[in-house]
Amino acid sequence: LTRVGDVAAGALAAVTDGDAEALAISERSGLARFASSEVHQPTLIENVAVTLKIVRDGRIGAAVTNRIDDQGLADLAARAGEAAESAVAEEDYPGLAPPAPLPEVEGFDPAVAELGADDQARLARSAIEAADGIEVYGFFTSGTTEIAFASTTGVRADQAMTDATTLVIAAADGMSGYAESSSWSKAGIDPAAVAREAAEKAEKTRGAGTIEPGAYRTVLDRYAVADLLFWFSFDAFGALGLLEERSYVTGRIGEKVFDEKVSIADDALDARGYPKAFDFEGTPKQRVELIEQGVARGVVWDRTSAARAGSEQTATGHAPPAPLRQYGALPFSLSLAGGEAESVDELCELVGDGLYVTRVHYVGIVHPREGVLTGMTRDGTFRIRDGKIAEPLVNLRFTAAVPQILADVPGLTKSPRLVNTNDFYGERYPLGALAPALATAHFNITGTGSEPGI
Amino acid sequence: MRDLCRAAVGAATGSGASYADARAVVARTQNVATKNGRVENVSDIEGEGIGVRVLVDGAWGFACDRRLTEDGARDAALRATAFARAAGGRGERALAPLAAQSGSYRTPVERDPFEVSLADKVALCLRAEEALRHDDVKVTSAAVRAQREDKILVTSDGAEIEHELIESGGGIDAIAVGDGAYQMRSYPSAHGGSSAQAGWEYVEELGLEREAPRVGEQAAALLRADECPSGRMTVVINAEQMLMQMHESVGHPTELDRVYGTEAAYAGTSFVKPSDLGSLRYGSEKMNITADSTTPHGLGTFAFDDEGVPAAREPIVAEGVLRGFLTSRETAARIGSGSGGSMRADGWNRMPLIRMTNLHLEPGEGTLDDLLADVDEGIYLDTNKSWSIDDKRLNFQFGTQIAWEIRDGKLGRMLRDATYTGITPEFWALLDAVAGPEAWRMQGLTNCGKGQPGQGAHVSHGASPARFRNVQVGVKA
Repeated sequence: LTRVGDVAAGALAAVTDGDAEALAISERSGLARFASSEVHQPTLIENVAVTLKIVRDGRIGAAVTNRIDDQGLADLAARAGEAAESAVAEEDYPGLAPPAPLPEVEGFDPAVAELGADDQARLARSAIEAADGIEVYGFFTSGTTEIAFASTTGVRADQAMTDATTLVIAAADGMSGYAESSSWSKAGIDPAAVAREAAEKAEKTRGAGTIEPGAYRTVLDRYAVADLLFWFSFDAFGALGLLEERSYVTGRIGEKVFDEKVSIADDALDARGYPKAFDFEGTPKQRVELIEQGVARGVVWDRTSAARAGSEQTATGHAPPAPLRQYGALPFSLSLAGGEAESVDELCELVGDGLYVTRVHYVGIVHPREGVLTGMTRDGTFRIRDGKIAEPLVNLRFTAAVPQILADVPGLTKSPRLVNTNDFYGERYPLGALAPALATAHFNITGTGSEPGI
Repeated sequence: MRDLCRAAVGAATGSGASYADARAVVARTQNVATKNGRVENVSDIEGEGIGVRVLVDGAWGFACDRRLTEDGARDAALRATAFARAAGGRGERALAPLAAQSGSYRTPVERDPFEVSLADKVALCLRAEEALRHDDVKVTSAAVRAQREDKILVTSDGAEIEHELIESGGGIDAIAVGDGAYQMRSYPSAHGGSSAQAGWEYVEELGLEREAPRVGEQAAALLRADECPSGRMTVVINAEQMLMQMHESVGHPTELDRVYGTEAAYAGTSFVKPSDLGSLRYGSEKMNITADSTTPHGLGTFAFDDEGVPAAREPIVAEGVLRGFLTSRETAARIGSGSGGSMRADGWNRMPLIRMTNLHLEPGEGTLDDLLADVDEGIYLDTNKSWSIDDKRLNFQFGTQIAWEIRDGKLGRMLRDATYTGITPEFWALLDAVAGPEAWRMQGLTNCGKGQPGQGAHVSHGASPARFRNVQVGVKA
């Protein structure tokens, strides 16, 4: 493997003028994708890319390459330099991050890093074989990401991360079930168990019925919770969302906005998630309380947005990659605290009469400021009657405000679990949310769709 | 690069592949974005490598290597072959027959977008943004982009094809905020503007500065506009929103890999069945949808797709009846119709998938005013704001940035927060008029997602404004 630290240092050394930071990232991954219980799209990826940000008199430009020989890095420095020369100086530019102690984090397991193409194919097959006769669709993937940062202010940081995800939809005509499991350690990999969970759920979805639109008490399983939080947080919990007044928490910091059982943090240090030590500016990662017992506490910040806030705000270690700088700091290690319920069954008892939703699909932001999202339920939607999961339902369209969902929460399961939130676009970078299942008193159904299944 | 691709294909077939293709790609993208008078992003991104896809004993395999060297090409080929063997298969996969192809294609450009300096791109964005300003507008932003992709495809079936594809694009947004309300207007479309396979002349023709004052004023006016009412009513949908409607409810469901279930784990499947070809009534007789990888300036335009199949113009829906699918060589062989032609990969490190090329709603006749004139009461919907559709592409819900009341055949008051919803074939059955060629507009999207690992595709769509009767409008949370 190429040493990414050397690549970052080499890119920095190629800079002849101005302040600069280099971030090198390598990927070695395999993804065995299957459909109709056959691996049909197995993909192996190896890449090393380096992003160089150059700052000249407050003007910032960036360039990216995967040509990491001397000429490639010299060209990179020239292109980043031209980009910087083309920009306009930022009056409140805060400068590059200074060196700071980095937190010690987990997140790398050599046993996962050693998984090769044969292992990835074998683990995909183990999911296929465990589905017990129901056709399955999904993938097993594992990979190693190494990231190294170097800057003219003296920051030197590097981290190796592993990640593995099994995703299974077990489906046939009129039935489908979903399960997913993600982990950075080999101990968390069990594709057969994921397939069995999906298959067991699928069997219960035959003969799906329909319901009338309206607000229902609902149990949202962890997959649904993670997805809804992810989409809500994009506007609600990033610094620019707050500064540009499109965040739900704009003007509400310090106020009680959700049920007191709801506490949300962004916590890249938690070993149950995908731990990270630093962000794309080299700033140490911090745990940030976003919602504490229902009270809005804050958002995540990068150096630029913190400077624009104009107060004593500092960066929290949430800067995006330099070419995505216009999106500002974003919370990609969301963690919703667990509650008291021992199981989803206990949440169903709290709901009494309502709905159970395994996951949601194709979520769209209808009103960012009000946190209104729309989407469909998928792969396991059921009626809850007398406190128990009852008959299956067709896929349902929801148009719901997340603040309303979280305003009255009868309960959450005790142990949040890691849910993958990475679609594996672009360069690999492990992303996931820690989410428990959640019961809400209000989930707004606005339409019905097709029955589950393929 | 051609020799490297040949070496990769040779290494793959030499190690047991019955079929192999290799794509060497060198790509460069420049992005400039400004917001509120600040330069938020000036970046110049390049990447290169080779991707090799193989068939071994009926199993696909794909591997890639960033090194454009003989070692890189050979290593990718051997790893792809090994992964295919490890994955295993159920037997032979047939590919639609294809005569050996050779050729080259270069996007015609008047002005190479990389000859325009980054400083000039920044200046354009700042000027456009300045023109967006308005007292109630809290956030102004502008962005432009340029992309060049050089790629060579060599297949074991004898194809040797070279492309140089050049794209240019841009857009502006204004966000107005007041009294807890938040409204956005964009031009020429939402979600990053519009791009075309063209030179910098495309960005100049967009007229970002020219349109900016209107965009800013409309964003501010939306703060005081009435909320769009709810109910079933006639809607006239402008060309920009029709693109999204067509993309989601016709383009994706007619991708034959989705129909066969191979996208189930991510993007979903389709309500359309293979046996529906030639018989499914998709919509009214006014509905004519064409897939055309030859459209000038389309982001899905090429001479050959990433399997070496020549570009073509094919009907997907004609007079409301399903007449075609978007296909690969494999799915074309499976359905026993066509020869593929829609396979594209997102760069060197992803395997080709069936992707929309350029998908168009063919024009009807008359003008937008003619469409409005036949509406006593209704809503005119303009510019996509939100979108969502179920995994079978049936139940959809869209929101638009702006709407107007239609009363007695004319546009009336401005309306905010418009949404509409429907079930795909039921909705298209409500289509009763499409405006003519003079009102037909094409725009290019760069954010179409599919596949695992994820792939983005650049696609263009053309449409004229269209009228639908009895549509459910105004979905409330």
